[in-house]
Amino acid sequence: MNINHSASTFRKPILVIIGNGMATGRLLDEILSRTPDKFDIKVIGKEPFGSYNRIMLSSVLAGETNVDGIIQKTPQWYEDNSIEFLSDTIVSYIDSDNKNLALQNNQTPDVELLMPYDKLVIAVGSRSAKIPAKNQNIEGIFNFRDIKDTEKIQAFTTQKPDALHQEKNALVIGGGLLGLEAAYGLAVSGVNVTLVHRNKWLLNRQLDEVSGTMLRDVMAAKNINFVLGCEVVEFTHSINAAGEKVISGALLTSGQVLNAQLCVIATGITPNKELAASADIEMERAIIVNDYMQTSNEHISALGECCQHRNSTFGLVDPIWSQCKTLAERLCNGHLSAFANTPVPTKLKVSGIQLFSAGVVESSETTQTYVLTDKKSFIYRKIIVENDVIVGVLLFGNVSSGMAYFDMMLNRKKVSHAMPNLVMGHEFMPAEVKDSLIIAA
Amino acid sequence: MNSNIIFTDKQEPASLSNATFHKTTCPYCGVGCGVSTTVVNNKIVAVTGDEEHPSNFGRLCVKGSSLHETVADKGRILTPSVFGKPASWDEATTVVAEQFKQTIAEHGPDSVAFYVSGQILTEDYYIVNKLMKGFIGSANVDTNSRLCMASASVAHKRAFGEDVVPGCYEDLEQADVIFIVGSNPAYAHPIVYQRIVKAKEDNPNLKVVVIDPRATATSKNADLHIQLKPGTDAFYFNGLLAYLANNNGLDEEYIKEHCLGFDETLAAAKAQLPTLDSVAKACDVELKTLFQSYELFAQNKNVVSMFSMGINQSSSGVDKGNALINCHLASGKIGYPGAGPFSITGQPNAMGGREVGGLANQLAGHMHFENPNEIELVKRFWNAPKMAHKQGLKAVDMFDAVERGEIKAIWIIATNPVVSMPNANVVKEALTKCPLVVVSESYESAETINYADVVLPATTWGEKEGMVTSSERTISLQKSLVSAPGLAKNDWEIVTLVAQKMGFKDAFDYKDPHEIFTEHAALSGFDNLSAEENIVRSEDEYRVHRAFDISGLASISLDEYRNFTPTPWPINKENPYGVKRLFTQGVFATPTGKANLIPITAKLPQVAPTSSQMIMNTGRIRDQWHTMTRTGRVPKLMTHFAEPFIQVNAEDAKRLNVKDKELLQLDNLGSTYIGRALITDEQRVGEIFVPIHWNDSFSKSAKVSALINPITDALSGQPEFKQCPVEITAFNAKWAGYLVSTVPVSLNTDYWTVATIEQGVKYVLADKNELPFTKNNSEALLQAYYPDISDWVVLEDDKNHFLRIAGFHEDELICFFSACADAPIKYSTQFIEKQIGLKHDVKSRFKLLSALDSDGSLDVGEIICSCFQVGEKTIKDAIVSGDCSSVKALGEKLQCGTNCGSCIPELKEYFKV
Repeated sequence: MNINHSASTFRKPILVIIGNGMATGRLLDEILSRTPDKFDIKVIGKEPFGSYNRIMLSSVLAGETNVDGIIQKTPQWYEDNSIEFLSDTIVSYIDSDNKNLALQNNQTPDVELLMPYDKLVIAVGSRSAKIPAKNQNIEGIFNFRDIKDTEKIQAFTTQKPDALHQEKNALVIGGGLLGLEAAYGLAVSGVNVTLVHRNKWLLNRQLDEVSGTMLRDVMAAKNINFVLGCEVVEFTHSINAAGEKVISGALLTSGQVLNAQLCVIATGITPNKELAASADIEMERAIIVNDYMQTSNEHISALGECCQHRNSTFGLVDPIWSQCKTLAERLCNGHLSAFANTPVPTKLKVSGIQLFSAGVVESSETTQTYVLTDKKSFIYRKIIVENDVIVGVLLFGNVSSGMAYFDMMLNRKKVSHAMPNLVMGHEFMPAEVKDSLIIAA
Repeated sequence: MNSNIIFTDKQEPASLSNATFHKTTCPYCGVGCGVSTTVVNNKIVAVTGDEEHPSNFGRLCVKGSSLHETVADKGRILTPSVFGKPASWDEATTVVAEQFKQTIAEHGPDSVAFYVSGQILTEDYYIVNKLMKGFIGSANVDTNSRLCMASASVAHKRAFGEDVVPGCYEDLEQADVIFIVGSNPAYAHPIVYQRIVKAKEDNPNLKVVVIDPRATATSKNADLHIQLKPGTDAFYFNGLLAYLANNNGLDEEYIKEHCLGFDETLAAAKAQLPTLDSVAKACDVELKTLFQSYELFAQNKNVVSMFSMGINQSSSGVDKGNALINCHLASGKIGYPGAGPFSITGQPNAMGGREVGGLANQLAGHMHFENPNEIELVKRFWNAPKMAHKQGLKAVDMFDAVERGEIKAIWIIATNPVVSMPNANVVKEALTKCPLVVVSESYESAETINYADVVLPATTWGEKEGMVTSSERTISLQKSLVSAPGLAKNDWEIVTLVAQKMGFKDAFDYKDPHEIFTEHAALSGFDNLSAEENIVRSEDEYRVHRAFDISGLASISLDEYRNFTPTPWPINKENPYGVKRLFTQGVFATPTGKANLIPITAKLPQVAPTSSQMIMNTGRIRDQWHTMTRTGRVPKLMTHFAEPFIQVNAEDAKRLNVKDKELLQLDNLGSTYIGRALITDEQRVGEIFVPIHWNDSFSKSAKVSALINPITDALSGQPEFKQCPVEITAFNAKWAGYLVSTVPVSLNTDYWTVATIEQGVKYVLADKNELPFTKNNSEALLQAYYPDISDWVVLEDDKNHFLRIAGFHEDELICFFSACADAPIKYSTQFIEKQIGLKHDVKSRFKLLSALDSDGSLDVGEIICSCFQVGEKTIKDAIVSGDCSSVKALGEKLQCGTNCGSCIPELKEYFKV
């Protein structure tokens, strides 16, 4: 056996990352900070851009920044770091037996390329969830997931009103974070926006009714209309000059008909798991990974919104950042540091309004809930306590002490004695009992 | 809830360039301190103690130090009103004059009455007394002094032949032993007490013995405390007399030369208390302490026995006074520096009232109805058309007569009987029935005006001019420093207007108080026999001896009057500069010139408690005065005790199942008193102490006098305020809390107490029902009281435990309500009190709902020093940090205790092992 490998026969292992979203961007940083030279890294991205901050798309829509302003890794960056970046490219299937990927470039859709890998990371994210409404495939109905969506929506908002359409009316479906951001972006651009949300209140997974209603009131003051507790039954349409079916409005479950020339659907996300089917790896709602972000195929890892860890799928950045660390540690150093899906607080900023939510949102028989409400200032603070420890925190309008509460929650710190003052801030937690006063004789 | 609460005007920083400075006299207790005032633009902006005044030599207590804060137009009665409608002075005085005339014409002179006050000035008193006793022809003039020192007055009369306090404050400094009997001067007479403290510092051999069923700030700094069973003072002094007799403690020569009645007196004492042991049993005190105190009395020449309400407010108060005086006479400890019995009065001019004769059992100028010569003398002096010939009705009897419909017109001046009289609710009923109730009053918060048909706005301290007499017979002038608010007039002026309209124009035609005072002075000297002449007077002598002789002032000029130097009477030809001590030659004001020892059979309080009752003792607290109409206006005076309370022994508290600062309820005569339990070791088991000050204007149920049985001393008519059995139970609140508000509101909680704070008012609240929560709409609870507020911040919990609500108007914090279902007993409102009335940033104001400053620096703890607002927390911090190891050091660092000094006993407690 020849154990003297020549330099020419030595080849770095090929690490291919499918998807070029925020998770990939972060994973690259983690890898480069550990072993910049260990892998021959290739990144395959569907979009024509480098990695960008998707969270900032609403700021682009609102005109607060532009596309360049949210790009975090330009094509030049990949080059500088000796990473092969294939933009505008999709993977059509994974040949896991031979450790090959089949690629298609959007510019040359007829050509199928094969790309070998030693290690594969699937980070293909998610897409907008569908809603059960009729006529969704007509012009003027958009998702709000990527730069392309954003540019299309912007085109609508900047287009000069024609004779027929003096008004610009837009619908946003979904009162989650994305829908609110979209509605805000549109409203800032001068469009009449109506947001339709299935639940009685906005952000119903993070907020309770009082704070959800408060959020509505704040947003309403920013010229957004709301129709809550309602869904779209079907979209109505007209035919434009080009002969295409164009949205003209929507019929709601309430029977109400809304006039609209644009609709943004932002009702949540569906993990992109389909690609993994071709590799024959385990899936449920998403691609299943173990504590080390490994799929059922030992050479294939998955990350971010497309993966499922135990029973959880992901949509917020904090746990995904932890996933990036776990994965990089394993790939670079061979260390197994388990990803723990610890609870994370939701820290949101909706059009300038701060929100903080952690743990349970609603009270139960066994909890005590302390609530502060300042309607005029749109401040709402709620702490839910069970067995003397915090189990839920919800802060609206002023999120001070949020992380301190969160630490108390994680550390199961006893708090009942500090109630209700703790609601106003962690500084009201009484200091540890001091020695009783000793007076000189 | 009564909303007659008033606020002090916010004082503008005064420019001193046009300031004027004036000396005057304090209107609070009987010590009669001199006050130096600074007046700017018709406002009294500052007060300090008058360095030259013989009562206080520059010191002032916390009440006196706050005097300028009480003189404010807010909360004052500004116009006369008749049957609820504003009226002119002419209309109002005509109504009063006509109705009085008509009532007298139809029902005789005794169908009308005056009930006046130890706080009005000598001249006011004189006019009222003259009108009633010389011109209307009835002696139905009594005064709230009846509640205060009537017993002492009668005891003096019995012993000395005249109501005379023999000694002076200097005697306290010259004494070897001071007995303080039934008195807590540390709170009630702080400046006299400070003189005792100073005397003790200067003379370490000076011993102080306190005789009081209650441990007080005074007893805690005494050498010996006889914590006797309530009401057994006469047993104690009878025992002392017997002890003196058995142990060579008598002055046989003095008895022989200057006293009468000794043998009978000693016999009575010995019959009741044959042994020291029997005294110890009767008084329920240890034999050893009893013996020590008797020895101190017996073995020292210079002994002063200072006494006040603990002796006087009793069904046998006169006897108690005489039992005490007997000991001084029998041992000859009287009539020289450093010795004597010393009655200390509660009011600034109780003594002046007595001198005028403004009580139902007195005639005028220390003269009485019992001697026809005296009636004749006064008649001649006044040229009186219709002299009264017999005693009138004393306070309790007077209101009973009103209740029975015998008195049909009553004029109440400068006192608040529906609060202060025993069985006060009956007084309310009586006044409701009475056809004509006239009330001369300064303050809207005086509850009695609610029962008046005619309300006459009166001037008060700082506005009116006239003389007062202190406990040591020193006459001083209260000066008019600022103009009267609204249409308010001086009391003497109001009464003369009515007297003139009743047809007595010539006899009541005075220009100013000076004219009245000189007349009073002239009367005192009119046909006044000297003590020496008195002893040898003939059968047909028409002249009358009075020790009270200020004839030396009968012709002083207005200028001399206005610049009068405080002087103790008598002031006459022989003693133009006054007399510090009387009876120095052993010659008394009796017909024989000898003092009377009075045989006393000591009696217990008239009503004994049942097994479910406790004995209620009542008294003053340090920073309040009477019914709080004046002191209740001053925020800093509300900080020492902000609520009515009930001091109770730990053993009783345990039995009642009540913790410290929880609420207790007292019941008697169908009336209720609710107060905070203060568990102390100051009370004997089975006894409680309750402050007298709170009333319907300041608390839901805290008018203690309404619970007091209308039992009086047969001789003095003084009610038994000190030993009233009452039922006592825990209040058992379902929730408790407070409301701090810029404006007064009317809440309907089962318990509330209001205190004036800098920017508004503070209500402390509790209720026997659950807190009414309305989820997400809890502000509705307050909305009803604040219709103009729509901006609320609310903190609540879903188990209905906590509720806090802050109401804002244009970002200004208007009200702050906090309640807790646990009925918490400890919370601080100091932070919120400082935030109320201020504008707050809308983004961070939610933090106010903690009711705490986040770093706690604003919370100084319970206020100990009212003068400098120094709190317990600050004091303890200073001690623990090692900065201060003595009361003196605390004073140097924090100023506490360096002004009035009345918190010094409390400060000393911090350094006890």
